[in-house]
Amino acid sequence: MVPFRPSRRTALSLLLVAAALALLLLQGSGGLAGASAGDALRAESICEAQALKARMEKNPDLEIEIPAEFNRLFPTLSACQSHDAAWDEALPGPNQPVPFSHAHHSGKFQLDCLYCHSGAERLPAAGMPSMEVCMGCHLHFPPEYDSLEGIRILNQTWKDQLPIHWVQVHRLPEHVQFRHNRHMRAPDVTCQRCHGLVETMDKLYLVDDTRWWQYALPTKKLEMGWCVICHRESNVSTDCLLCHY
Amino acid sequence: MTEIDRRDFLKLVGVGAGAAAAAGCSDHVEKLIPYVIQPEVISPGLPIHYASTCRECPAGCGLHVKTLEGRPVKLEGNPESPINRGALCARGQAAIGRTYHPDRFEAPMLRKGPDQLEPISWDAAIELLSLEIAKAPGAVHVLGGDPGETAGKLIDRFVRAVGAGGRTVYEPFALEALREATRNVFGVASQPWFDLTDVDLVVDFGNEILDTGLSPTEHQRQLAAARDITARPDGGARLVYVGPRLSQTASNSDEWLPAKPGTEGILALALARVAIESGAGTEAHRELLSGVLADAEVNTAAERTEVSADRIVRLGKALVAAGNPVAIPPGVAASTRRAIASTAAVLILNDVIGAVGRSVKIPPEDAFRKRASYRDALALVKAIEDGKVGVLMVHDCNPVYSLPKAAGFEAALAKVPLVVSFASICDETSELAHLILPDHTPLESWGDLAPRDGVRCLLQPTIRPLYDTRALGDTLLDVARSMGPEVASKLPSGSFRTVIEEAWSGTELHAALSRGGEYGELATAPVELAAAAGRLEVVEPVFSGEGDFVLLPFPHSFLYDGRSANLPWLQEIPDPVVKVAWEPWAEISLGTAEKLGLEFGEVVAIETSAGRIEVAVNPRGGIRDDVVAIPIGQGHSIGTFASRSGDGRPGEARGANVIDALPAGVDESGGRAWLAERARLEKTGRHQRLPLLQFSDNKRGRQLGEAIALADLTAPHEAHEASAEGARSEPQANEVHEASAEGARSEPQANEVHEASAEGARSEPQANEVHEAGHHEAHEIREEFQPSADADEGSPYRWGMTVDLDRCTGCASCVAACYVENNIPVVGEQEIRRVRPMSWIRIERYIGDGEPELVTGRKHPARNRESLGDVDVRHSPMMCQQCGAAPCEPVCPVYATYHNEEGLNGMVYNRCVGTRYCAVNCPYKVRRFNFYDYALTRWPDPMRLGLTPDVTVRSQGVMEKCTFCVQRIQAARQLAKDEGRPIGDGEVVMACEQACPSQAIQFGNLRDANAGVVKKGGDPKRAYHALHMLNTRPALTYLAKVQRGPVEG
Repeated sequence: MVPFRPSRRTALSLLLVAAALALLLLQGSGGLAGASAGDALRAESICEAQALKARMEKNPDLEIEIPAEFNRLFPTLSACQSHDAAWDEALPGPNQPVPFSHAHHSGKFQLDCLYCHSGAERLPAAGMPSMEVCMGCHLHFPPEYDSLEGIRILNQTWKDQLPIHWVQVHRLPEHVQFRHNRHMRAPDVTCQRCHGLVETMDKLYLVDDTRWWQYALPTKKLEMGWCVICHRESNVSTDCLLCHY
Repeated sequence: MTEIDRRDFLKLVGVGAGAAAAAGCSDHVEKLIPYVIQPEVISPGLPIHYASTCRECPAGCGLHVKTLEGRPVKLEGNPESPINRGALCARGQAAIGRTYHPDRFEAPMLRKGPDQLEPISWDAAIELLSLEIAKAPGAVHVLGGDPGETAGKLIDRFVRAVGAGGRTVYEPFALEALREATRNVFGVASQPWFDLTDVDLVVDFGNEILDTGLSPTEHQRQLAAARDITARPDGGARLVYVGPRLSQTASNSDEWLPAKPGTEGILALALARVAIESGAGTEAHRELLSGVLADAEVNTAAERTEVSADRIVRLGKALVAAGNPVAIPPGVAASTRRAIASTAAVLILNDVIGAVGRSVKIPPEDAFRKRASYRDALALVKAIEDGKVGVLMVHDCNPVYSLPKAAGFEAALAKVPLVVSFASICDETSELAHLILPDHTPLESWGDLAPRDGVRCLLQPTIRPLYDTRALGDTLLDVARSMGPEVASKLPSGSFRTVIEEAWSGTELHAALSRGGEYGELATAPVELAAAAGRLEVVEPVFSGEGDFVLLPFPHSFLYDGRSANLPWLQEIPDPVVKVAWEPWAEISLGTAEKLGLEFGEVVAIETSAGRIEVAVNPRGGIRDDVVAIPIGQGHSIGTFASRSGDGRPGEARGANVIDALPAGVDESGGRAWLAERARLEKTGRHQRLPLLQFSDNKRGRQLGEAIALADLTAPHEAHEASAEGARSEPQANEVHEASAEGARSEPQANEVHEASAEGARSEPQANEVHEAGHHEAHEIREEFQPSADADEGSPYRWGMTVDLDRCTGCASCVAACYVENNIPVVGEQEIRRVRPMSWIRIERYIGDGEPELVTGRKHPARNRESLGDVDVRHSPMMCQQCGAAPCEPVCPVYATYHNEEGLNGMVYNRCVGTRYCAVNCPYKVRRFNFYDYALTRWPDPMRLGLTPDVTVRSQGVMEKCTFCVQRIQAARQLAKDEGRPIGDGEVVMACEQACPSQAIQFGNLRDANAGVVKKGGDPKRAYHALHMLNTRPALTYLAKVQRGPVEG
């Protein structure tokens, strides 16, 4: 038996991940932008105010100054953080036209996946929520939320009655006929099994799930070999005509 | 050493390359665009079907429009419609192309110069038009085809409201003679309806009931049911065809009478006389018709029609003996200047044989309905020439193309100050219009239609209009409103949709919409022969011009009157009879070809008194010597597919337009006479390579398009077994041929009519000798097999199909359905010349059993084996046979084609590397190769919008073929899986099966003993497998055509 040896590719990606982590830590330790004026930390926006408030909670000695206009309940700290993280170039995955955070919606607020992707269990396509679904909640948001750029974009597209052009993250080639509902009905298949821990991701990306199959061929997520491994494990047909026609 | 099979070896070899490839990551970015507000009914990925109505011909077939995310992707027949009962012809299937047509007008256009159109806003266009109308009181004219019931009435109201000069309804193929003849014979001016349910003898006097006749889809279905060999062991209804050429209808008949063109009426009267003499009809008939029938003596009629007296007598007696006979009056190709008389003669024959009231249904008079009139169209041309027309509004017709040059419409049009066209797709008429106010296409429109009394059909929009177009009704309402409150008050308020809703106010509109309309019984008037019938004068037709030939323009099977010429599929599917695509052709007899020294593809000049056209000839045995026949519908000078220009601009015409050689002739009532001209043929010395898709109709005695004589079918089983030596599909080749040679084929008659040509055309005796002497049994080693065995042992399914050649008429509905269902590209004229069609299913057409192969010293087989009077034509759909021992599979180096667990011969596009070995090794020649990226290069925008997302669009270098609409199997499987049961019989319906008007195709699970496909395929005498001798173990079972033989008197 040949012992498992990480390939050059895996080693490289490990290195990269380490580098990215280091970079993140460095950034995280940096102070708030445009923070101090004199001794007191002065907030320049609602989001900064929320952050300062949070810091003060931990450290009651902290001197902060929050102008009245920024002293609001909303947007919450978590909203602010998710908003920024979803547009963070350093995070994996493509930047979307709107900094939508799955971690915020699905993780923090526990929105069911099916609330937005309503076709996932019923239909061949999981479906993208229509603008109407977004606005079903967002229309009731206080105007202070407009301080977030993402919310401003969202409101403007709704005002213009235009859709948002999301960048596709989980893409199957055209010659694959995939039925989402069929997979959801299979036992032990959860959303996370293919899409990763979406509820923890501020910015959605294709989780690398490289597997090794016969003949040590690495297959990445959403590649055919990756599909086939699962089909074989769960004793499902691997007939070509199942997916290709 | 362990054995490594080829597959594992390939995998190991692939590891190195695969590892490198896996690292490669696609940079392709796809966008997901959600709805702003998602309509509640739309579920992405699931189709929604809407009921609507087909507008391709006046028959009014019901549609089910399959839409995916708001886009129609496929048209299917509406099973609830009493007209088509779920089937749909090729023209109907292709109608989807109108909505996604590249030649559509995207906005209103104003002409600035001969080739200069500029967009104009709707408001400005409507104001312009209303000002012009106000300026020309009494000189405004509306010219158009049939826009539907409510729209027609709205146009009439508009014409009255704005004080216009009038409205002319013009349809090139209007049935004026039929209506007028009904008025003459029965005193009721209405259009009779012909119901072929349970008939047992049909005499078609050149109506082409199965092809371009009154209601082809309906008649095909009814006739197939009346001829069902399993339910009627005597063979059921017989079809007799009268006409000068072996048309598609003729090739499905049991007897073909190649009468002199235009003498149908004389023949009908002679038959009526024989019938009366044999005891048919009443005393009233004898009395009233004595004068008319005095001239219809059999021998004189035989001389005038060139149909032998014996045959007339035999057929006349058969009409009396039959329980439910019916005669169908002449159609477009047989409409002479005396069309009313000959139509009236056929109606009289119907009355004599008792068909009126039974199969011939005459509705009450419908004088209120505005009918198409050719005379009115000619009168309009005169009015234009006299300068009496200031504004001409043209909708739903293309008179510049379809009116003869001799009528002078095109020249007259230059004298009209403002020509307005409502065309949604550019045509010859819109090219001469000053203002274009584009209408929606039928799939985008509201509308209704009354194809016959008692049946009202609805059209509903199934897609939001693609462009800035407006419904004709709405445009007219807007024009009236812009002319001031006085005019507007005379017209309904609201939109055209509310007008439709108002017209249907008496009914539950929602229920009607879901059914496709309101279907009631046809009201019939109690009729009897009018006195005028006794004064009928039926004489030989008058032909103008000089020449040895009669020019026979006939409606093209797919292009109808030319309106469908711009639909790509209809150009690409070869004609069901001569198998030529994309081009017009001139049919002449083999005798004529020999006499004039003409060969296939040689261009001749056809000169008439009205004009001269040049067409490539197609010599064939199945046409009279004195006729030159040319299809109507080609020769457009504009249109991406209709013309050679290749874009929506005017350019070189696609062949000749036969209408250019026709006079502006009218019949007695002012209807249009198509069969009116003599012609001279002249060699031009040029040669044209016609795009041809079947090069020989010789099946060489192989198991393709088999037939069996009725006598053999009904013979006791034991006798049959003895002769067949146990092999199931053995007997046809041998027995049928002998039987047909002896008399099942109407060989003797043919000789009577045309001894010379029959002898010259085909070396029949010689062929028979060869066949009988050296039948190819010697080199055949056939193995019996069970098609159901060729799937994995555990699989509950082995998919299979039966094709009943006795029902197949060769109409190619299945071909069109397959094209649209499976995203099959249209490759165009040049590629068809290279014989690279992409159709997954084709209809092969064979004449008789042919001359066998592998006989040394034989003559080169004739290209065309037809002969006059011979109806032994076999139409045989050919698609992938899903072989159990497929020759294509072992030769594929990459396993792109393989046998799957359910017995399908799978074709994996993403694996294919394009070696084409499989196509070379396929004996059925059903594999198609993408020589180019057809989807990119041959599909101009916005045609791609009509593609089905359920089927992969194949790219360059990939082989493709039929896999039994596997997408439909998979869709049915989802439902079955959810309900935890196997897929039931009839749950999966193939696209070809769904479209077939005569239900010739049946698909199902061969492992289900109760499945229809198993029961049908188990027919011991008719079942055979195509090219059985190759032992490919096909899953397709063909059922041999039954030769019923000529009718017995």
